[in-house]
Amino acid sequence: MKLSKNFSNPLAANNPVIVQILGICSALAVTVKLEPAFVMGLSVTFVTAFSNLVMSLMRNGVPSRIRIIVQLVVIATLVIVVDQFLRAYMYDVSKQLSVYVGLIITNCIVMGRVEAFALGNKPWDAFVDGVANGLGYAFILVLVAFFRELFGSGTLFGFDVIARFGYVNNSLMLFPPMALIIVGIIIWVHRSINKDLQEK
Amino acid sequence: MAINKNSNAYIIIYTVVMVVIVGALLAFLATSLKPKQDANVLNEQKVSIMKAFGEADASFDEVVTMGNLVGGEFVAVDGSDKDGVQAIFSILGDRKALAEAQDNLPIFQLEKEGVVKYVLPIVGKGLWGDIWGYVALQQSEDNVVITGIVMDHAGETPGLGAEIATAKVQDEFRGKALYNAEGEFAVRMQKGGAQNEHQVDAITGGTKTCDGVNAMLATSIGKYESFLRTVEAAVEASCECGECGAEEAANVESVKTEEE
Repeated sequence: MKLSKNFSNPLAANNPVIVQILGICSALAVTVKLEPAFVMGLSVTFVTAFSNLVMSLMRNGVPSRIRIIVQLVVIATLVIVVDQFLRAYMYDVSKQLSVYVGLIITNCIVMGRVEAFALGNKPWDAFVDGVANGLGYAFILVLVAFFRELFGSGTLFGFDVIARFGYVNNSLMLFPPMALIIVGIIIWVHRSINKDLQEK
Repeated sequence: MAINKNSNAYIIIYTVVMVVIVGALLAFLATSLKPKQDANVLNEQKVSIMKAFGEADASFDEVVTMGNLVGGEFVAVDGSDKDGVQAIFSILGDRKALAEAQDNLPIFQLEKEGVVKYVLPIVGKGLWGDIWGYVALQQSEDNVVITGIVMDHAGETPGLGAEIATAKVQDEFRGKALYNAEGEFAVRMQKGGAQNEHQVDAITGGTKTCDGVNAMLATSIGKYESFLRTVEAAVEASCECGECGAEEAANVESVKTEEE
């Protein structure tokens, strides 16, 4: 598989969130503001990239009977690393993300990529695949957070954008169901552009 | 090399080696980042306390006198007393212990231009989880007045209960006197709008959280009530000679010396 296609595929045509519909739960929870969504996206990218890399390096030695357990240990370790670093260096954001950093462990994208890709491919390819899938996830999160923060709080990254023009914040945007609706709209737009994704 | 990767021996050795490596790695990481994380938590507590005092720009370590309320008496803890300071901040960080504490209650004192303010930690339950914060109090002639409050929450509904963490709601509490003419604790968030000078408008759609705030204020401040009332009496007495600030400072000094 070509490396560039390997990289670009998860960003759009095979996006893990809007095509495979994975990782929705954290997309609902951390997209109220852009900053936590951004950090969450980067955290997941780090975890998918390095769990893919590590598992790909280990792929010839892992006993197939316990491979899922080994995957979980690797992923959990990386997630704890991320969590500890956030607590030490980005305390405010880590408070906003609260349990959702720990829940990256259960994010289907991470284990899905390890199981489907890293175990059968060379380390560099697996690493690129992990980065691309993480970024595909991050992109959707940031997109959802953009609309929710803009219309829910009138700000972007905490900076006052439209509130000064007399915009009254729509707190409906801050509720989780709104994230689901925005993801739905993104999927709709995406499928109307990529007609081959439409189910008959 | 022919190793049977599905033999039990291989699997057990593989697992043991993996767990030892991962365990060592995480233990190392946790230990090396711990001081930084603790400093973050401590700093956040100090910033919240300064916010409650309304002195967000001042440095906690320079202006605040830490102390405990032991049997209704203010016992100052010197900033250089590491164990004492740590005991105060560790109970602030442990909401369950703070809610259960009946004696040895943490309290912070700040004196500025002759006016003494106290900050008390408050802790309670909202609709979905814990709510907590700090309230700053100051004695007036015959009452105790809230001069500032900060509140935070674990998971109240955004836009509804979560509004207690906003400046808009917290500013409403400023200037409210704690006790009514009958001497009862009267500050509360009132559904349908404030009915009297002690009350604050409740948040529409956030009634359960507001009930939690009311319970939190009554319980947490209630524990300090005897102290607040004695201070109140002392102020009344000392104000007649017009030296309330000096008197208070002298009191604290004498407590300190007794400690030593």
